[in-house]
Amino acid sequence: MIGRLWPKVGQTAAGLFFALALSCCGLVTSTNRSVFVVFDVSGTYVKAVPDATKYANLMISQLQPGDWLGVSQIAACSFSEKEIVLQRELPETPSLASAAKRELFAQLAAYAGQVKSAKYTDIRGALAQAAFELKQRPEADRYIVLFSDMIEDHGKTCDTAKTTLDLKGIHVIAANVIKSNPADPDKYFAMLKKWEQTVTDAGGTWNLVASPDQLPKLVASN
Amino acid sequence: MEQPNDPPAGAPPTDAAVHGGSFFGIPYGWPLGLAIVGLILFMWMARHPVRQVLWQVFFITGRVFGRWGLWLGEHGRNARIMTSEKIASHRADELQEKLVVLEDRLGRRAEKLPKETGPIIARLDTSTHELATAAHSLADINLEDAAERAFRAALPSMESGRGLNKLEKNIAQNTARAMNERLMPVRPALTALKTEGPRIRDLSEKLNKTCGEFNQGVDQVNKAFSEFEMIMHSEDRIKIASRASIVIPWLIALLITGIALSGVFLNFFLIERPMSEIVGEGSKIGGVGLPAFAALIVIFLEFVAGVVLMDALGFTKLIPAFNSMSDGGRRILLIGALIFLIAFSFLEAFLAIVREQIIEQNAEVSRIAVASMGQNGLDAAAQNALQSSVKPAVVLGLQLPTLAQIILAVVIPWLLATAALPLETIVRNSVFMISIASSYAMMTLAFICKTISVLLKNAGLFILSVYDLVIFFPLWIEKRAKGQGGGGSRRRKEKGEASDDDDLMALDEPANQKPNQPPRRERDKRERELQRA
Repeated sequence: MIGRLWPKVGQTAAGLFFALALSCCGLVTSTNRSVFVVFDVSGTYVKAVPDATKYANLMISQLQPGDWLGVSQIAACSFSEKEIVLQRELPETPSLASAAKRELFAQLAAYAGQVKSAKYTDIRGALAQAAFELKQRPEADRYIVLFSDMIEDHGKTCDTAKTTLDLKGIHVIAANVIKSNPADPDKYFAMLKKWEQTVTDAGGTWNLVASPDQLPKLVASN
Repeated sequence: MEQPNDPPAGAPPTDAAVHGGSFFGIPYGWPLGLAIVGLILFMWMARHPVRQVLWQVFFITGRVFGRWGLWLGEHGRNARIMTSEKIASHRADELQEKLVVLEDRLGRRAEKLPKETGPIIARLDTSTHELATAAHSLADINLEDAAERAFRAALPSMESGRGLNKLEKNIAQNTARAMNERLMPVRPALTALKTEGPRIRDLSEKLNKTCGEFNQGVDQVNKAFSEFEMIMHSEDRIKIASRASIVIPWLIALLITGIALSGVFLNFFLIERPMSEIVGEGSKIGGVGLPAFAALIVIFLEFVAGVVLMDALGFTKLIPAFNSMSDGGRRILLIGALIFLIAFSFLEAFLAIVREQIIEQNAEVSRIAVASMGQNGLDAAAQNALQSSVKPAVVLGLQLPTLAQIILAVVIPWLLATAALPLETIVRNSVFMISIASSYAMMTLAFICKTISVLLKNAGLFILSVYDLVIFFPLWIEKRAKGQGGGGSRRRKEKGEASDDDDLMALDEPANQKPNQPPRRERDKRERELQRA
């Protein structure tokens, strides 16, 4: 009985396996993400950079093996490779990824220890640079994490205020946005609103993170 | 409460009273009557096409449903018979195997029987001989004669002695001596009687036990053989099939497989994470992460190795190639399956250690990240952690959870292998149950189709009856007129040529059916009976 059934079961299993193999060929997808962290080193925020690196550490600890991380800073003219601090893809195996994360902690700690202040704050240029770098990456999930007070200040030689941003498919997360003028909350909220509008108009999604533990959840949740 | 039926005198006439009302735009009164008469005449004139349409809609559809019902019923019954035949043959196979095993066991027992019963019988023989000797000795003794002789021997002393006490004493002594002398040769016989009796009882009990065991084996063989004979020769295959239990072994097998599957899940969660150390992370195949996919593949491979092992051992017959395989080939596959399972056990044990390492490393990374939040820059703990992180992770000793994971990892592949045992029962009995359920479903559908067929035919009859009721008057006139016209239709009926009306009026009979021929179902039944005969 079973002997007679077995060829049919075998044929069915072979068919299923073949279908599975075919579907696998078309359905192999990547779950990795690329994250670009941008630190504001302007005069109003440079003191908060060490704290911001700690927040970034928390986020990095939750990244998965195979994820990519880039770090740059917002300076007077941010749309430049010179402002990129580091770029690294985590190894695909968990043990090597853990070792790489520890190295990243050390690099960020070193960066926070020797960071220098910039005269102007070219946030738009930094966003354009981060978006440009992320577009080169094959990962489907792309994040820009901004550690800044979000107050833009362009110099005469590098005015990117009218630069067109393309943030399609990029999640922009503003973290640790300090309040530079506690006496004027309306201005603070209006500024955040303006940036949200800018990002969404450019095709991206906007998130504001208030507490440090929210950032890893937001990045690692997808 | 009374209400006036007529408007009061002098009241203005209402609109209904003026127009008299209407039915679908036709005023009540003679126009409506004329319309009804016209409609009836129209229906009388249109009776042939209407009947044909109704015939087509109700009777042809009903007949189609009836045919479907017949077809489904016949195939359902055939499927039931075929399934019963398969179940009976499977039961016969089982009994045949059981008979072979029992026969083998009985043969071996029969070979051992002379060795078991020989000493018992020899001892019984010896005991019987000793008992016979003792009985012979006992039969020879004559106690009365001994007593008399003792008394006579005491008589001379009675003459010399005067005292009564001395006389009694003398008689007693002489009697005792004489009795003792007489009983002396009999004592061994009495001892033999005392000892051989229980021994014979023990020996007979042993013999009884051996005989009982042997008879039990013979009874089992007889019972299995009787059932086998009944299965082979019984005509009522459904009854034979219903005697074979399908559901209970299936449920038991399902329960065991369910437990084994829970082990599979446990195994999956144990090896999923460390598999990322082998295949890497970051990809999904068909929505499943690559480590999870690899873990599933490993589990499937373990299961396949288990199936091969069980088939090679002869416990299951899932793989047909094993039936025609030589013993050498089977042994090679058995060794191969064993090696694979041992390798999988080692692999899982190593993965358990790797899993613990990954967890520790991740925890350490998180600890460093959290510790760095404490003060400005990295605090001392974080620095220490960073320094230690430069070194590769070292397992100083296996912790208890790791040991537990290793034990589980080693055991689970073998448990998975045993899950192949109930798989055969599940597959086979599932096929049987699906076949039975399909046959019953077909028969149920047949019943539904036949019911729909009857409903459609009767609904058609009812509608035609209502139609005829509406046009009964023109029909009656027509019939009268035709009756006066010479009864042509009656003559045609006698010739077997039904008129158009009569043909369509025969609602519950097919127009081309021969009157004396039995229905097709009866004919088929008779044909089957003839074929069987």
